[in-house]
Order: sequence, then structure tokens, then C-alpha cells
Amino acid sequence: MSWELFAVFLGSSIRLATPLLLAGIGEMVSERAGVLNMSIEGMMLTSAFAAAVGAWATGDPLIGLLIGIIAVQPVALLQAVLSNTLRANQIVSGIGINILVLGATTLAYREIFGARSRAEIPGLAKIKPPLLGDIPVIGSAVFEQVWLLYAGIALIVATALVLRYTSVGLAIHAAGAEPKAVDKSGLSVARIRYGCVLFAGLMASLSGAFLSIGDIHTFTEGMTRGAGYLAIASVIFGKWRIGGTVFACLLFGAATALQFQLPALGINVPNALLIMLPYLLALLAVGGLVGRQMAPAALGEPYRR
Amino acid sequence: MTDPTSDSARIAAEPLLSLNAITKRFGSFTALSDVSLDLRPGEIHCILGENGAGKSTLCNLIFGVHRPDGGSMRYRGAPFQPSGPADSLAQGIAMVHQHFSLVGDMSVVDNVLLGRARGVLDRKACAAQLDRLAGEYGLPLDPLARIEDLSVGERQRVEIVKCLIRDPSLFVLDEPTAVLLPDEIAALLDVCRRVAASGRAVVLVTHKLAEIKQVADRVTVLRAGRVVATSDNPAAEIDALVRAMIQGSVEALDESTASMLGFEPVRHVDHGPAAVQPKAEVLQIDGLTVTDHQGVTRLDNFTLTVDRGEIVGVAGVEGNGQSELTAVLAGMMAPTQGRIYLGDQDLTGRSPREITAAGVGIVPEDRHAVGCVTGMSLAENIYLNRLDEFTRFGFLRRAALERDAAAMMQRFDVRARGPGAPFSSLSGGNQQKAVLAREITLPNLACLVAAQPTRGLDVGAVAAVYGHIRAACSRGVAILLVSSELDELLTVADRIVVLYRGQLMGACAADPSRREVIGAMMAGQPL
Repeated sequence: MSWELFAVFLGSSIRLATPLLLAGIGEMVSERAGVLNMSIEGMMLTSAFAAAVGAWATGDPLIGLLIGIIAVQPVALLQAVLSNTLRANQIVSGIGINILVLGATTLAYREIFGARSRAEIPGLAKIKPPLLGDIPVIGSAVFEQVWLLYAGIALIVATALVLRYTSVGLAIHAAGAEPKAVDKSGLSVARIRYGCVLFAGLMASLSGAFLSIGDIHTFTEGMTRGAGYLAIASVIFGKWRIGGTVFACLLFGAATALQFQLPALGINVPNALLIMLPYLLALLAVGGLVGRQMAPAALGEPYRR
Repeated sequence: MTDPTSDSARIAAEPLLSLNAITKRFGSFTALSDVSLDLRPGEIHCILGENGAGKSTLCNLIFGVHRPDGGSMRYRGAPFQPSGPADSLAQGIAMVHQHFSLVGDMSVVDNVLLGRARGVLDRKACAAQLDRLAGEYGLPLDPLARIEDLSVGERQRVEIVKCLIRDPSLFVLDEPTAVLLPDEIAALLDVCRRVAASGRAVVLVTHKLAEIKQVADRVTVLRAGRVVATSDNPAAEIDALVRAMIQGSVEALDESTASMLGFEPVRHVDHGPAAVQPKAEVLQIDGLTVTDHQGVTRLDNFTLTVDRGEIVGVAGVEGNGQSELTAVLAGMMAPTQGRIYLGDQDLTGRSPREITAAGVGIVPEDRHAVGCVTGMSLAENIYLNRLDEFTRFGFLRRAALERDAAAMMQRFDVRARGPGAPFSSLSGGNQQKAVLAREITLPNLACLVAAQPTRGLDVGAVAAVYGHIRAACSRGVAILLVSSELDELLTVADRIVVLYRGQLMGACAADPSRREVIGAMMAGQPL
């Protein structure tokens, strides 16, 4: 593999990992607080659609992004109410939301776009950071990315700092591990969990917008194609830690990038097999490598005093 | 309050918190009714009562977990209506709960900071504060240790420090000594004394009389949700307080049960039959080792024999391999090594059904999870292991089942609406009696394994359970009694062995004078 090709592979790995990273970190925070947020897929799809429509209608991708973020919050709120206040089964309610969103966005897409299904949608700008972008060979190929990626990295670093060094991080950890202790210390388990689910919604909305107006500048029906589930898998693979989750997302991103790279290298593997690769990897990771005891003790369990 | 050596001077006359005719109902059940009491700065106020008397409910009302349905509370002279733990904490009321609420995979410092810190954490300052408290109250702790790596006694210290660091005016401890070793109990009582001496009010909930004798300034006795006695000089009036606590069931107490509760000076009761009958080993456990799915050795080369007509008590702080021992004996868990024999029959690795058929009765530790099916009726639960006997042509003969179950209810004093009552409608004590009835009436019972058979039972039920166990013993049944209540073992068992981290630390006769030795073994010092 030549250096140029490798740089392209690296760049596309990062590009393809970005939606997983954004959604995965949000999901990790939510799971650390004890809420298994299966609806991450639906939230991403909501945002991908709303951002695309917003950008197309206004001609401004930034307004599109904003509309995407706003559109996800009711979905996140629905998940939060179901899993905290109504104490519904989190897996069932999450999947229910996903199916609902898939139907709703498909219907709305056909109503709005109809025949103009290949309409060009204005997308978010790419930026090249000053020093890193000037490195020969890899400069443009790796570092010239949609600005949302860099914003996302800043958000992830901030999240890591909050989790590790602040009382909010402590409360989130405790809400997922021992909600009783949180309650008895005078904090509200419900408030922490609502906050974390809404944060997961915010991150998922950035992720969804990245898919439609950041990466390919169009919307297609069900375009998330399981990326939300991959984000959940990367949280498990990353053992509910930021570093591990980031690594898992990059790994899945690289596995996805491989399906474009291998044919370019002249290696002939059936395309269907390559599309399976990240999912297969996720299955192996979740099934074999991670013990159950790593998960937050109260994950998926609604709190009752 | 100026002279800490004199009790009357230390305790202020003005109450810090006063409860006035408090009533609390849960559905149709009245947990507390018309309870009034005063808590004064500088005193250790003990709340005495049996299980279910309403002690924990009372604490939870003070701490704001529950709200009263009637009556009022005044704190520092002003009306007090906490809407949650946060309110009570803000007012200077701290509570150590019966069940710990610590986050296992966080450090001591982080647990202390939870709910207290705002914004960026200052772990260093908190650790320094912990060190200061450690010196002041004699509560040594490593601030950076993870909770999971601490012993039960150390975890409780964390709970106490979590409260003290808030500098509370009122300090509530709900049955804090239930899980502690004897010397840890002494240290805890010492902490209570120091806290009270610094002018705070301490509420100590307990059902152990020795503790009341040692530290209580005043005592309030609860029975069935009502205040039935109070005392300003508890050490002198202890017998009257106990009578008040268990009134109604006092006739049911035989001598040894009474001594078990510390009701009268402890006397060892000799059971006789064991000594008379020829020795015959019934249960033989040989080199039993259990490794759990995480690779942790839970039971390590455990060897024990129980003779015909002998009661062997397994003592130890909970979590030292007792659960695994009973699970293996019941056939619910496979041992990694070692063998189990009943007489000359090898029971190692047999299924629960085969073990029951061989004549081993099991009263499991967790009666709800493995001892019964709460959704089924009492009759069905009593004959759960023998339902075939009530089956004809594949159909259950319900009339016969319920008739026989009614007889069992009579014999074992299981109180319920009737044999057809859902098992979940029975009280804990009656559930336990029903499980015991099932196991102890196995037709060919040769060995009974009873794990924590009196947990959560009131005094009358405790006496009944041990009465049945002793009766089985005198019929020649070998009995293995696993309990974390050392006092009960000392009065009921013939011999006591101690489990510590899965190992047999030693064995000795069940003689109350050996209490210190057994306590030391429970803490990991070999005989």
C-alpha cells in the first residue's frame, strides 16, 4: 500500500468513525448513568432527516444542523420519560422509537422530496487545521475534515474532563452503579438520568447531521443503517470508558473504510462480506471479549426508591 | 453540656427534634401509630424493637424518605416537614442506613464527595478532612481505597464518615451492628459515645440488649408501630424493656431462646441427645472447593462432618463462603473439587432433586429466590417437592393437598388465610415456617441444612423455628446450621465452625465463654 493510499484510508476511517464517535460518547454517558438508550439509532435518523430538510429549505447548512439538534430533543425526551418516569423496558421502548422514526422519516421524505430524490443539499464546510493540515502527503487526506468532527473532538475531551474531575461526573457514575447512594446523598437520580439521556440525544443529533449534511450531502431512507447500534456496541467494546469507546469507534470506522480500500488495492473480496465486517467485528467484540460485570451495575434498571 | 463526664449535665433539656403523635401507613398496614418522642442534644437514644416494629420506618420519616400521614415534627423548635433526604441533610440530619448505599467501584473519597461537592472536585482537601475525622473519632480509612476492596466493617466506617463530614446535629444509625464483628461493634459504640459527647444527638436503632446496656442514655421501645415503653435509665430497667418489646410472645420463649436474646444471663443449654446416641457420621464434606465464574475461590478445601443428632453451627461474617457452601450442598452449584457424602452415598454434583430424594432438607438463605414460588399458594409451596404424591392420572388432587397442608399449618403454626392463600400474602416469618415445614417433614430426612433460618423473624417465630430444629435433632437428624447471628449459634448448636474467606478457620464447642475466640476466628485469626 502506498503512503498516499494509506493516508486516504486513514482519512476515510476517521470520517466514517465520526458519527459513531459522536453518538457513542453520548450513549456512553447515558449508559454510565444507567439508561440503555437503544433509541440512539432513531435519534440519529431524526436528526439526519431534519438537518437535511432544514439545510435544503433554508440553503444554510448551519441552520440545518440547528434544526437537526432541535428535532431530536423531543425524541430524547420521550425516551427519558419512558425509561425514567414510566419505568418502561428500555430495550423495547428504544426499539419502538427506532421503528417509529424510520416510518416517520420515510413518509415525510417522500412527501417533501417526492421525485426530487437526488436534490443537492448544501453541506457543512470542511476545514484544514493550520499546522496539521500542512504536513505533506497526509495533511489534506487525513486532517481536512468537516468542522463538526473537530467540534465533536472538543466535546469528547470536555466530556472526559467532566466525568473525571467534577461532581457531575461523580453523580453520573453513581447513578449507574448504585442509584440508591445517589438518592440518599440528596441528589435526584431522575434528574441526572434525564440530563444524560438528553445529552445522548444532543450527541446523536450531531452524529445524524454529520451523516446527511456533513458527509454525503443528501438524505436517503433509513440512511443510518445500524450506525446507532454500532455506537452501542462500541460502548460495550470500550468497557464503558471514553478511551475504549473512542478506540472501538475508530476500529469500526476503519473496518468500514476497508470496503472502499480493498477493491482499490486490487484485492477481490465480495462486497457483501466487507459490508458485514464492522458488524461482525462488533458481534465478536460484544460476544467474546467483554464480561457482563464491566457494565454499570444498574444499567437498564429504572430506579424505584 | 459543659462537663462531658456527667450524663445529666451533658444532655440538654431542650429537645433537638420532637415527634408528636406520628402515624404512618403503607396501604392498609399501619407501620407507626401515634408515636411521640424527643431527641436531645448530647444523648444516645436507642430505639428498641423486634423486626417489623416500625424502627426503620421511624428513621426514614426523620430522614425524609417517607412522609408521615398524621402528627407533626418540630426540629430546633420550628415545624419540620422534610420532603426528601436532601431537606434533612441540609438541616443537619445524617443517617447510616441498615443497608449500605456506597458505590462499589468508586474510591472512599469519591463516595464521600457524592452529593456534597459542587463543580470541580477537590479530592485532596476531602482526603485531608477524612484524615482529621479519622483521628478525632477513631475511624481509620484509606481515602483512595476502592469500596469493593474493603471489609464490611470498613465500609460502614465510610458510611459513618460520610455522615460526620457533614457535621450533623442529629445522627441516626439504623441497626448498624447487624453485620459487624464483636470488636467492630465495640469500636462503633465508642464512636457513638464520642459523637454524643460532642453535643450531637445520636439515634441508635437496635434489637441487641448488650448495646443498650453499654451506651444508651434513653430508650424508646416500639412494638407493632406503637411506643410501649420509655426509659431514662435503661441499664437498670433492661428486663422491663425487653418484656415490653416482646410482650405477648414472652410465654413462647423457652429458656435458651431467652438467653439467646440476652434476656437473662447467658447460660449454655446442653442438648443431651447428641451425647447419648452412638456416633454416626451422616454428612461428610471432604475438601470442598468452589471457584466462581470470575475465577475467585469462594470455598477453599472445606472439610466437615456432622454426626447423627448433632447441630453444627457455621459462623462467620456474611460473604465468607456460606452462600456457596449451602448452594453446593443443595445441588444448585457444582464444586470445583471435593466430595459430599450422606452416609456412604456420594452426593457430589447430584441434582437438587436427587439430593432431596436422598434425605437432605435444605432451608435456603434466600427464601424468595430459591425457597419458594411466591406466585403459588401456600399449600402448593408446602408440598412443592412432593406434588407427585397428590397427583392421580396426571391431575393434582387439590382437596387432598389443601387438607394435608392445613394439618401442616397447624403443626408448624403457619398463620395464613388458609392453605389456598397466595404465598406472597404471608408475612416473612410465616413464609420461613412454611419452607422449614416442607423441608423438615421430608419422609426420609437424614440431614437438614438451614441457612440463616431466623433472618427477619420476630422473637416468637425464632423460638418456633429452633424448637422444630431441635426436635428434628433429637430424632437423630444431622443438622448444619449456617448463621451470621453468633448468639443464636452459641445457644442452639453443639459445635461451631468458623468460615473466613472460604476457609475453615477452626472449630470449638458452642460455649458462650468462647465468644471472644470465635469472634477472633471470624476476623481471620486462626485458633
